[in-house]
Amino acid sequence: MRLNICKRIAALTMALGVLFTSVTAQAETLPYESYNYTYWEDIVYTPAPYEPDYVVAGRDLEFNGEPIGAFNSPQDICSDSEGTLYLADTGNNRIIVMDSKMNGVLNVITGFDNAGAEDSFKQPSGVAVSESGELYIADSQNRRIVVLFPDGTLDRIVDNPQAEVLEDGFVFVPLKVTVDYANRIYCIAQNMFEGIMVFETNGEFTGFFGTINVEITLWERFWRKLATRAQRAKSQLFIPTEFTGIDIDPDGFVYASNITSDGVQGVRRLNPRGQDVIQKGTNENLGGDLNIDGSTDYSGPSQFVDVVYRGNGIYSCLDRKRGRIFTYDHEGNLLYIFGGLGTQTGTFRLPVAIENVNGDIVVLDATNASVTYFKETEYGRLINQAVSLRYDGDEAQAVALWQRVLTLDENNELANTGIGKAYLTAGDYENAMKYLKLGMARDYYSVAYKRYRNNALTESANVVFTVIIAVIVLIIVLRKLLKNGYIRIGKRKEGGNA
Amino acid sequence: MLKAFSKEKWQYLMYTVSHPMDGYYWIRRQERGSVPIAILLVIVFGICFTSNRLLASFVVNDVDPRGVNLAFELLGVLLFYLLLCVSNWSVTSLMNGEGRLKDIAIAIGYGTLPVSFGLVLATLVSQFLADDEQAFYTIILIITIAYGLIMVMIGIMQVHNYTLGKTLITLFLTFVAMLIIVFIVLLLTNLLGRVFNFFASIYTEIIFRT
Repeated sequence: MRLNICKRIAALTMALGVLFTSVTAQAETLPYESYNYTYWEDIVYTPAPYEPDYVVAGRDLEFNGEPIGAFNSPQDICSDSEGTLYLADTGNNRIIVMDSKMNGVLNVITGFDNAGAEDSFKQPSGVAVSESGELYIADSQNRRIVVLFPDGTLDRIVDNPQAEVLEDGFVFVPLKVTVDYANRIYCIAQNMFEGIMVFETNGEFTGFFGTINVEITLWERFWRKLATRAQRAKSQLFIPTEFTGIDIDPDGFVYASNITSDGVQGVRRLNPRGQDVIQKGTNENLGGDLNIDGSTDYSGPSQFVDVVYRGNGIYSCLDRKRGRIFTYDHEGNLLYIFGGLGTQTGTFRLPVAIENVNGDIVVLDATNASVTYFKETEYGRLINQAVSLRYDGDEAQAVALWQRVLTLDENNELANTGIGKAYLTAGDYENAMKYLKLGMARDYYSVAYKRYRNNALTESANVVFTVIIAVIVLIIVLRKLLKNGYIRIGKRKEGGNA
Repeated sequence: MLKAFSKEKWQYLMYTVSHPMDGYYWIRRQERGSVPIAILLVIVFGICFTSNRLLASFVVNDVDPRGVNLAFELLGVLLFYLLLCVSNWSVTSLMNGEGRLKDIAIAIGYGTLPVSFGLVLATLVSQFLADDEQAFYTIILIITIAYGLIMVMIGIMQVHNYTLGKTLITLFLTFVAMLIIVFIVLLLTNLLGRVFNFFASIYTEIIFRT
C-alpha cells in the first residue's frame, strides 16, 4: 500500500514537471522582464532582446596554468576592434586581457617598464583601446593616464595637467578614459564638474569639453533672491552633474552618460567642439525609465553609469538604479530594455560598465566582481539589423526584418513605422497609412495621407467634373423648359400653399 | 414642457445666434427663451466636445482615446455649467443685475451652440487634412469659440442690462466666485467626511464593545 502511494506521488510529480516545463515560455525563465514604452508612455512587454549566456568571475580564470584569483571591485571593461576584452581589475591593481568569449586570459598586466624602473598601477579604474591597439589606462590613484603599446611596453604617460582654468591644488584623478582616431584622449576626472578633460596627442591638456550647464528655473532664482545670506549658504549648491561613462564612435563623436535628477537626458553625443548633438525621439526623453514617480528606494530616475556605442547609430546605456540596459537608435527611439537587479544569472548588484563584443553585450558588475555575457536573441538581432539598414538608408530591405519583428512583437511601433515608410516609398499609400498609424508616426502618416488624397482626387476628377457639367446642363435645360411653359412644378397655378 | 420646446422657441434660438444683441434683450423682457433648450444645448456641447476628442483625425488629434469617457466629460461640462450660472447669478444679484438665474442659464446655454457647431465642423474637416493644413482646423475652432464667448458676453450684458465695462468686471468676479464656491464645496465635503467618519467609528466602537 505504502509503495503504491509512493509510486502515485512520483507519477504525479513527474506529470506536473512535464506540465510545467511545457507551459513555461522561454521569457519566463529569464530573471528580468524585457519591455518598451509605447507612444502613450505605457509599458509593453516584449520578447527578450538579449539573454544571459554565462557569467565569468576571476576565480574561474587561469593564466599560464595558474588561477588569477577573484576580481576585486573591477570598474571598467572595454574591447578592441577584434573583440579582445580589457578589464580594469581596480582593487587588484591590474589589467586583465581576455579573448572575446572570455574563455581564456591572454595577459595579465600588473606593471610596465618606466624608463628602466618597474612601475605599477594604483586603482586603475578606466581602460580604453585606440584604433591602432594602444591601451589607455586611467591610473586613478597614481593620478595619471598610462598609455601602453600593444606589446605591453610604455608609450607615454599623461599626468599633471597644467592650465589656468584649473584651480590651484587641483588633484587629477582620472576615472574613465577614451581615445579618438587621432589619439586625442577624453578623460572623466573625479570632482571635475567643468566637463570632460581633453588631452592632445602629445599629452598636453587643451581644455574642457561638453560641459553640462546648470539650469536654474525662474522659481528657484526668485527664492534665492528672497533668501538671506545664511539661508543661501545652507541651501543646496547648483552643481552641474558629472559624467559617469564615456565611449566614442568611429567618426570621433563622444558618447557620455551622466546622472540626472529629472530623468530627461542621461546621455549626450558630443561633436568635436563639445556640443551635444544627440537626437531625441518623439517624447524628447533619453533618460531611461519613464514612470519614475514614487518615494521608495526603487523609484526615481534611472542612473546611467556607462554608455557604449554599438555601431550604426545604436547605443546602449547601463542603469545602476534598476540594473537595466536601455538601447536607443540614432533618432533617439528606445529600441528595447532588459536587465534587472538581483542575484540570479543575468541580473546585477552594482553594474558599472557595459561593452559591445561582436554584437553581443557584456556587463561588468563591481560587487559581484563578475562579467555577464548577454547573447543576442532572434528578436534583438532582427531589431538591430533593421535599425542598421535604416541607418544606411536602406529602408526597403529592412521591411522583411520588420515584418518578422511584428510576428514576435505585434505592438512594436518602430516595426510598424518601418513597414509603413516602405509602403510610402513604394507608393502603396493605403497600407502606408495603416501601418504608420499603428506606429504613431504622425508626420509620415500625414505625407502618406496627402498623396493618397491627391491620388483619389485625380482618379475621381473625371467622374466629378462630368457630373458637375451634367448637372449644370440639366439645370439650364430645365430652366428653359420651365420658362417656356413646357413643364410645371407644384400647384402654382391653382394658388395653393407653396 | 412642450411649450419649452415649441417651434417658436427653436426659431428664436436661431434668431438669437444670428442677432445676439436683440435676441438676448427680448429673452429677458418677453420670455422668448427656453431653459430646457439651453440645457439640451449644453448636453449637445458635451457630446460634441467628447466626439471631437475621440473622432478628430489622427493628424490633428493627440488625445489618448482610452482616456476619453463620455459620461465623465458630460458630467464635467454640466457641473461647470451649473457652477458658472450659479456664480454669475450670485455676483450679479449683488451688482444690480436684472437677470434671473433662468436668463443666465439661457444666455450661457445658447452661447454653446456655435462652439458645438464648430467642433463638429472641425472634426469633419480634419478627416481631409494633412499635417501642413492644420491651420484650417484651428481657425474653425478659434472663430467658433470666439463667437460663442462673444455671445455669452452679450447675453450676460443684455439680461442684466449692463454696460460692456461692467460686464467684463462681473465676468472677472464670476471667475473669483467660482473659485470660492469650489473651495467651499471641497471644504464642506472634507468636513462632512470627518463627521461621517466620527459617527462611523462610534458605530464600530459600540459594535465591538458589546
